Amino acid sequence: MEEVRLTLFNDFKLWNPNGLVLLQPDPFLNELTSMFEHSTEKGSVWVTLKRSSLKSKVQKNKMTTAGDAIEYRCLIRATDGKKTISTSVGAKDHQRFQASYATILKAHMTALKKRERKDKKKGAEFDKKEGGAKKPNRV
Amino acid sequence: MVYITSWDEFVERSVQLFRADPDSTRYVMKYRHCDGKLVLKVTDNRECLKFKTDQAQDAKKMEKLNNIFFTLMARGPEADVAEVTGKEHIDAQPTKKGRGRKQ
Repeated sequence: MEEVRLTLFNDFKLWNPNGLVLLQPDPFLNELTSMFEHSTEKGSVWVTLKRSSLKSKVQKNKMTTAGDAIEYRCLIRATDGKKTISTSVGAKDHQRFQASYATILKAHMTALKKRERKDKKKGAEFDKKEGGAKKPNRV
Repeated sequence: MVYITSWDEFVERSVQLFRADPDSTRYVMKYRHCDGKLVLKVTDNRECLKFKTDQAQDAKKMEKLNNIFFTLMARGPEADVAEVTGKEHIDAQPTKKGRGRKQ
């Protein structure tokens, strides 16, 4: 069973090194935006960050033996449960990417609860714990 | 799989976990708009750290953690993330900017 899986995986890798759709950063960000937009009523959006050299073990071993430095990148994957997309950023372009990424998240993660700034309590149950009658609780 | 309740603890342990095994550690974010829930996970496939929230202010904190991981993963585990964490500068006063003009 495992042997079969490995073969299929390796064949898949030939035309798609990571086994997923690998995009340039900007198209990835556009697709990610789309994922958020289409999963407001139900579903989830997962984003995974992982360090990767985007090279196979074989390639890495060859490079190490040859004394070549292996360049690592930050691999970013996103999925809505149906489709998976990915991209990678390196040391030179991660700052630009993270700024755009932050903007997208800020714009779309709007269902989280906002809280009054002075209130450091997590919920109504914690009211009595603090005991401070600084401001009347308006909940 | 216990959820860590302290954000700072989650960040510190996550960075430690990554630095101990940069090749295996991954950082996962799951957002469910319909439930208004955000779950973060950092794991090296042995240990698993999780944080969950429904608070908007945690999303702001997460932005910093995102930047930390982008930096660590793109530049390497030795990368200096001090300027990214801004942990010491919780007030977020832009003391570095605006040398001349104090308004």
